[in-house]
Amino acid sequence: MSKPTLLLIDDEERILRSLRMLFFTQYNVKMTTDPQDAIRILREEKVHVIISDQRMPVMQGSELLRIARETSPATMRILLTGYSDLNASIASVNEGEVFRYLLKPWLGDEVKKVVAEAVSIAEASFAVQSQVSTSPVIRSTQKPRVLIMDHDESTTKIVHEILEDRCEIVWACDAQHAMEELAKQDISVVISDLMLGDTNVSYILKTIKQLNPQTQCIVVTSFNDTSRLIELINQAQITRYIAKPVSRKTLERNLESMLERFQMLGNQPALQKRQSVAPIMDPHEKQLSGNFMSLLGRLRVRMTA
Amino acid sequence: MFHTSQLGQDVLTPSHAINAVVPDATDSPDFLNPDYARVLALRGLVHNAKKSGQDIFTLIHPISAVEPDCTVMEVAELFLNPNNSKLLSLPVVENGIPIGVMSRYRFMDMYLKQYARELHGKRPIRLYLNDKPLLIELDQPLAEAAHHITQNMQFPLTEDFIVTRHGKYLGVGFVMDLLKEMEFRMRAHADELNKAYSSLKSSQLALVQSEKMASLGQMVAGIAHEINTPLGYVQNNVAIGQELFMQVRTMIVGYEALVDNLLNEQASEVEIAAQMQYISQLRAELNAQEMLVDMQGLMTDSLYGIDQISELVMNLKDFSRMDAAATEAFNINDCILSALKIGRNVLKNKVDVTTLLDELPKIKCVPSQLNQVFLNLFTNAAQAMDTHGTLMIKTWYADDAIHISIADNGKGIPADILTRIFDPFFTTKPVGEGTGLGLAISHQIIQQHGGDIQVTSTLGEGTCFQIHLPLAVATAISPTLN
Repeated sequence: MSKPTLLLIDDEERILRSLRMLFFTQYNVKMTTDPQDAIRILREEKVHVIISDQRMPVMQGSELLRIARETSPATMRILLTGYSDLNASIASVNEGEVFRYLLKPWLGDEVKKVVAEAVSIAEASFAVQSQVSTSPVIRSTQKPRVLIMDHDESTTKIVHEILEDRCEIVWACDAQHAMEELAKQDISVVISDLMLGDTNVSYILKTIKQLNPQTQCIVVTSFNDTSRLIELINQAQITRYIAKPVSRKTLERNLESMLERFQMLGNQPALQKRQSVAPIMDPHEKQLSGNFMSLLGRLRVRMTA
Repeated sequence: MFHTSQLGQDVLTPSHAINAVVPDATDSPDFLNPDYARVLALRGLVHNAKKSGQDIFTLIHPISAVEPDCTVMEVAELFLNPNNSKLLSLPVVENGIPIGVMSRYRFMDMYLKQYARELHGKRPIRLYLNDKPLLIELDQPLAEAAHHITQNMQFPLTEDFIVTRHGKYLGVGFVMDLLKEMEFRMRAHADELNKAYSSLKSSQLALVQSEKMASLGQMVAGIAHEINTPLGYVQNNVAIGQELFMQVRTMIVGYEALVDNLLNEQASEVEIAAQMQYISQLRAELNAQEMLVDMQGLMTDSLYGIDQISELVMNLKDFSRMDAAATEAFNINDCILSALKIGRNVLKNKVDVTTLLDELPKIKCVPSQLNQVFLNLFTNAAQAMDTHGTLMIKTWYADDAIHISIADNGKGIPADILTRIFDPFFTTKPVGEGTGLGLAISHQIIQQHGGDIQVTSTLGEGTCFQIHLPLAVATAISPTLN
């Protein structure tokens, strides 16, 4: 069996040479400083994982990863950058839909682990892709449920306008309520601010994938904190990050595509792994998330009883 | 005929004034007095006065005026009335119009003469009054009224002033009250001014600081990226090297053991065969020759990366030389090169920089400040380019001054905002992205170096900044910018 393929893109060749040494024994490593060249490789070959720098002449990494998403959807996308710039991070979520946002300098073992995980997910994705035409599309008869975690009523209003009665819309104003709703386990899309009143709800978002890997998460916020966003990419796999004030059109477009993805992941459970999350690093959040999970156990017992 | 009940209050605050002119019907027995109409009229004025901020209003004492046909003796009675003891003078009014004033001083002067009572007593006061009273219109600003009175009052002070509205008599006011009020206001104004001045000063400092921090923040983020890239591969290469080192060591140990056994005549064939087997297995796992060649390349890369990092750190040190005193002479070309290095991350993928730097004499300056100016101009230029662009930087020396021209081929600045770009807080960037102080501070820095900065721009073609710095800097360089 041939080695899985990694594609590395960075405008600094020394980065490429260095990464290659890390991977060439286990993987077939392709590398280039030219994003156009990378796109050509993606078109011509089966690439399991693409690792791109963000700031490059000609093309930004998030843009390259967006193209990669279209060109080779099964390829797992990783951004490796030394510059945590908010706009770049937002683009990497919304356009690049990256699996991980990694920072330079990196730790060899960690990057190896992430790449190994990404490779195995990509292999599963390629397998699904090859048989996708044969599997029948099953439309769930149940109404999708959208949970809104936001103090601001206007978000809920817009969602109501967009969805009308196509979905069940639940509005949670505090963390407790949000957790209870999530415990019912049939949330398709969560639309959440990062703060609910005084509570930082990142830990809830980071726990969502453990409850239901199918649930999609849209963050709608006026917070502009790059490092928090990067955490949410890696540890919550949020799929959209929209800055407030939200325009109806933007939210509509993203909400529709997330509802569709929820549906698609229901039909293709193997693809749910593409949104596997990294473990929560912050000890406090870890504890909160643990508490949430045990609360969940109690709630489910109560509900089934 | 006198309405004097409210007299005897020295300092009248506005609320007192209202009380003074709006007597309650129950405790004012003389509300049928024709003067009451005036009181009512005044009550109407209270409201207006408060609204329009009429200053004079608070000073009015609604004294009933003396008619010109009043006799001297009657006037004497009025002066003797203890209720009037505070009045320096009595207003004389005919048909509502003040025609003069009779002062106590003037009256006594006349009355002290022999047979004065007999001679003048029955005569009308009209014949004795001062027909040039101090007149103030109600809506006159306090300062103007005070000016008018101090210009026209007599020494010693013998008269009160008369307040009119549209020329009609309203009441009298005490000059001392007016001056006191004036002094009070001036003091309040001075306090306010002082406060405003110190708060302006501190907010200016805070703003200059925040602009510095904003550009510093941008710079730090840029530098972080510049450093993280080489740091990324250097760290990784070292980690790889360490691992390879361990593998190669294992291999060498294996080879040495084999060599030892081959040289040892007592060594068994079986043992040697096992060692050879072990070594060929190691070789299969690790192509040491090839790895070492690769590793050599990585070492070279690493040294290069370390050089890069040290250069960046050096630049940062040069750049932020906070030696405020402009006692040392520097070469402006060095400042420009240093700013270019620091700005490299903003410029490198976007801007082709051309430098034409002539030999320059050194000048006394604060390099950290000039670096800030140049970096600001370079980043502005990069931001003005929608796509790839060019930046031309020239320096030359002529007419005892250093000239710097920084020209980009960006989108240019529209004429209507070109005149405002050095204004503090003027920015075309979205809220939160620019403080609007970058160029204002640059302008100030250049000025403090005794120079000037000018801009020309053509829409769609580009913008050119010209800086002139005189060789001899006479002006002190402000420490506030550091």
